[in-house]
Amino acid sequence: MNTLTQATPEKTVIVIVEDLIQDWGLDFDGDIDGETLLVSNLEFASVDIIQLCVALEQHYKRKLGFQDLLMDKGSYVGDLSISRIAEFVDARLNEPEAARA
Amino acid sequence: MTTRTLFIGMDGATFTVLNDLTAKTGEGPVMPFMARIFEKGVRTKLRSTPNPLTPPAWVSLMTGRSPGHHGVFDFIRAEEHAGDVFFTLYDSRDCRVETIWSIASRQGKRVAALNFPFTAPPPEDLNGFLVPGFVPWRHLRRNTAPNDLYDRLKTIPDFNPKELAWDFEQEKQALNDLTDEDRENWVRYHLPREKQWFRIADYLLREEAPDLMAVMFDGVDKLQHQAWLYVDPNQQKGELSDYHKRMRKLCLDYFRQLDGFIEHLVTAAGPDVQVFMASDHGFTATTEIVRINTYLHEKGYLKWKEVPDTEAGKRREDSMFAFLDWEHTIAYCRTPSSNGINIRVARKSGETGIKPEEYEAVRNRLARDLEDLKDPVTGERIITEIHRREDVFPGVAMEDAPDLLLVLRDFGFVSIKNKQPAVEPRPEIAGTHHPDGVFLAYGPGVRQGASIARRNITDVGATLLYSLGLPVPSDFEGKVPEAMFTDGHLATHPIVIGDSTNRQVKDDRSDGMGDDEKEKIMAQLQLLGYME
Repeated sequence: MNTLTQATPEKTVIVIVEDLIQDWGLDFDGDIDGETLLVSNLEFASVDIIQLCVALEQHYKRKLGFQDLLMDKGSYVGDLSISRIAEFVDARLNEPEAARA
Repeated sequence: MTTRTLFIGMDGATFTVLNDLTAKTGEGPVMPFMARIFEKGVRTKLRSTPNPLTPPAWVSLMTGRSPGHHGVFDFIRAEEHAGDVFFTLYDSRDCRVETIWSIASRQGKRVAALNFPFTAPPPEDLNGFLVPGFVPWRHLRRNTAPNDLYDRLKTIPDFNPKELAWDFEQEKQALNDLTDEDRENWVRYHLPREKQWFRIADYLLREEAPDLMAVMFDGVDKLQHQAWLYVDPNQQKGELSDYHKRMRKLCLDYFRQLDGFIEHLVTAAGPDVQVFMASDHGFTATTEIVRINTYLHEKGYLKWKEVPDTEAGKRREDSMFAFLDWEHTIAYCRTPSSNGINIRVARKSGETGIKPEEYEAVRNRLARDLEDLKDPVTGERIITEIHRREDVFPGVAMEDAPDLLLVLRDFGFVSIKNKQPAVEPRPEIAGTHHPDGVFLAYGPGVRQGASIARRNITDVGATLLYSLGLPVPSDFEGKVPEAMFTDGHLATHPIVIGDSTNRQVKDDRSDGMGDDEKEKIMAQLQLLGYME
């Protein structure tokens, strides 16, 4: 992950997702980019999304409050694009610490 | 490099079964090597955590600390947020104290820890090898340490991560009543699975010879839950059906295979290795169903939530988590495995529940009502022990524990389903956890053929550190059982109490997680499909 230190959040999410799915044997044969959807394209199950959240929090060495991304008006979102996750991560990383506490 | 200490965990192993399988019958014992361990080593019962359950018990074994200190009480952690209760799975980041893997690593020892629960994500300070238990196969690579280990494992002949790893669907099915065919397949499923873990242990033992080699076989527990009728020696009497005989044979095949794995690992580790084996809890028979939330409803403590007549509603009702009208609920049981009662206290404006000043009175009344749950025929109490959390879970993490911990008369786990009646006999006996597991030692410096007084599960971690030649941290609750070792060994290897554990693990967690954050994170895991 050292090469990710200076990467943009989107690049970071892509690299981590690529790392996660490398052994899954998916039919998906395109490149993962901002428009790639976790559930529709990469066959993520709910537990896989949780593992991705843990991986991102481990990478950034901080909690990112993913429940705010995963829930919308009391319901859970059906799918997520890479760019949506990256935007969320970017916003959280730029929030003052006090705003998250 | 040689391995100094070999630890073999057997989830749920109990002397009730092991004594039977090591007995010299006409055809010889099913577990001849275990019989040799009994004869040439030391054995003792091992008292589990107050709720004898895999998560708190294995974490206590790995940390030398009780659940009130390490903070892992159940598979599921729940927290109330915005008028609903959110459930999340515990992981290694929830453990507030240092594990023996980290303690040994930072003192220069190389360790290998295979299939232990709540070791994912792996610690960054690990000096050695870790493949976690209770992780789906898709996530094994990322949770395996060091980074190149997973690719090395793929070079092991017949390595199959799908066979090796935790399968959510299989586990979920095992919680339900199985058909005869399903039950047979459930036992068969664990034969190749254990072989996968054995092969990894064998590979690391031969290739790396870590100072501490530790592997856990969890099929013992899984098999006994569903097949106790065929494993328990007390159930093998009278007229037995062909199915019963076939299941018995299949179960014995499992234990025969396990015995072979243990013999192979002990032999491969060499004659100088000290061997320790332990289980996180024992096993016994449960004969009745106790629907604790049904009883609490009858007593006016909770109100069931209306379940919508949809597929999603049905799944939610059938899930393992309480589905209640929170506004009208003041006490309830969250999960069957918790065997605990949580009291809802309104601590902030707008929250529902009792007032903080009512807590003691409500808890006392609740305890009295639980004492009153009695067998209508014999008058015997169904709940034989009711513990207040400060009595059984003292420590910095006590606030996360249930307010009352229950022990049922047959040691069973409660049901939280909305069904009647509150108590009824099971149609067929099933396996459940008993507080007394097993603890065995064998090898140089260990007494021969001795049976010593019961020890506590926190003693195992202390013993493994001692065997590695390391001091036992001063804040460990676990102690080294001196009676396990020869006088000569104790004289040349005195037990040393060292510095306290490194609290960095706990501090990191606190810094990264404010109260609000901690509360919010619960929401994530509601995504888990099997929870809905």
